[in-house]
Amino acid sequence: MDFKQRIMTAMNHEEPDQVPVMGLIMDPSTVNQIMGKEPVDFVAMIKNPDTKDSIKDMMNQDEFWNSTYQSNWNDALESSLKLGFDANWTIYAFMQLVEDSESSLGLVWHDVFGRVWEMGSDNKGNLILNYSRPLCPTEEAWEAWVEEKAPIFEKAIEYATDFHKKLVDDYGDRIMPIGCAAPGIFENCWQPIGFVEFTKFTFQKPGFVKRVIDFYTDYYLKYLEGVMRSGVEVVLGGDDLAQKTGPMMSPEMTEKLFGESYRHIAEAVHKRDRKFIFHSCGNIYPLLDKFIEWGFDGIITMEPTAGVELGKVREHVGHKLVLIGNLDVSYLLVKGSRQEIEDAVKRAIKDAASGGGYILSAAHSHPYVDPSRLEWMVEAVHKYGKYPISI
Amino acid sequence: MMSNKTPQKLKDSLLSLDMDATMEQVDFVVKGDADVTVQEAVDAVAEALEVVGKRFQGGEWFLAELVYSGEIAKSAMELLSPLMSSGASQPLGTIVVGTVAGDLHDLGKNIFINYSKSAGFEVVDLGIDVPVEKFVSAVDEYKPLALGMSCLLTITSEEVGKVIEGLKDRGNRDKVKVIVGGAALTEEFAREVGSDAFAPDAITGIDIIKKWIAS
Repeated sequence: MDFKQRIMTAMNHEEPDQVPVMGLIMDPSTVNQIMGKEPVDFVAMIKNPDTKDSIKDMMNQDEFWNSTYQSNWNDALESSLKLGFDANWTIYAFMQLVEDSESSLGLVWHDVFGRVWEMGSDNKGNLILNYSRPLCPTEEAWEAWVEEKAPIFEKAIEYATDFHKKLVDDYGDRIMPIGCAAPGIFENCWQPIGFVEFTKFTFQKPGFVKRVIDFYTDYYLKYLEGVMRSGVEVVLGGDDLAQKTGPMMSPEMTEKLFGESYRHIAEAVHKRDRKFIFHSCGNIYPLLDKFIEWGFDGIITMEPTAGVELGKVREHVGHKLVLIGNLDVSYLLVKGSRQEIEDAVKRAIKDAASGGGYILSAAHSHPYVDPSRLEWMVEAVHKYGKYPISI
Repeated sequence: MMSNKTPQKLKDSLLSLDMDATMEQVDFVVKGDADVTVQEAVDAVAEALEVVGKRFQGGEWFLAELVYSGEIAKSAMELLSPLMSSGASQPLGTIVVGTVAGDLHDLGKNIFINYSKSAGFEVVDLGIDVPVEKFVSAVDEYKPLALGMSCLLTITSEEVGKVIEGLKDRGNRDKVKVIVGGAALTEEFAREVGSDAFAPDAITGIDIIKKWIAS
């Protein structure tokens, strides 16, 4: 079996030749280590008055942004190939550098959705971005934002489609790009407004909240069409519905506000004969039934640090969902020993791989995930993940 | 005219997540139209938040309800607090809290602050992206009973240990209890870096600090 058959067989809850492995490679730190490249200290260039303005001008040119971004993801897929992954997620983002007196660097990134991203560096000098605050904390601010940014919203779909198409064209014969659709509807609804304000609005201004959700659902579906047109066969929807101890909103409230949107997404994906896998961080146990009801094909992440156990999830959902992930990134894939990684891989395979429907993967990515440990992970899958499973 | 059932009504409206009804009851108290004292009204708000905390910990309520009931309580307290006679109620103690350096998340920290204040603590909020030295100096300055650190990112988790080392270097480690929480942390990690407790959520964190006072 080749990588694609392996992934798709598992996605259909059948047993492939061996448990497939998916990568979540995207952080420059991980990519640079694998590719043997030196970090680019972007923050230092922003701090330097001689280079700050030119960096800003350059990054705000669409063509430069897109070519740099594409190149970074080419490296991410090259890295994934080197590690022996069958698939890797691919995510497009469109951002602009903006002057900001609240930021210590004087510059922040604004994404098209109304979120501010602050820059920092990891311990090797690579750029990291963190969502920091909303740009549209009131109804009026939100309305003004979406009106002002309407042309960019449309442009971002076009760029995302091109981005995914290039990756499918250039790498699709060697690895499966799992194309991420637009940022999740739940996140996109609350992050530009702020969670506290958004929560208040759900109780006090339900009409406004419905308008926000309808707007992003509509946008998401258009963006999704673009991603699917690019040739991506498995689409990933990333939307953190949960935090460490449980869902951000009750399953009932999530259903009431977002259920219809998620159903539309799953229907749109299935209409094009694609598969839809859903990423949410946090403790997702109370939402598992919803994921099935909404028509998702699989879920990815299942964070061990949020207490999610693969075996328990499999027991609960049976083979109604493909499961992907659960390898810890707080310790195991950062500092774990080869033996610990081998044991964790064996446990994951034992807990979830029988009958297919499991794709092994790290639970998440961050700059301190160690490439050597990812290699050990892949080696362990190849050693213990041959079907029929005999662990 | 507010009746002596006001505290119950206040609690009920807050627990029904009804901002308007809660503020209506508070308004009676503020205008002196109620036959209850401001202190009794404040106690009713605090009791309601205790119930909110239990509902959250029991999985009956989720983050959205926790946040919104906290916001209702905050609005109520903004009107009631200025009317409290000074010294009417001594704070349970001071807590210094912040999100570690490199981490910009503030939701969990702010929930913790909101509920801690309602529970009767004095809270010093150091904000987000707080350097080690600022945590350590704040312990010197405010002499809190507890220092709380929030950390949502795995890549910044090392900061937690650095702050604890900083407290040791300053000779302050045994003068303050350290409690940590956030998505990136676990009970095991908290123990390894030498904190006194790990809080999986804001409400549990407050429970732990209350137990420290009791003991």
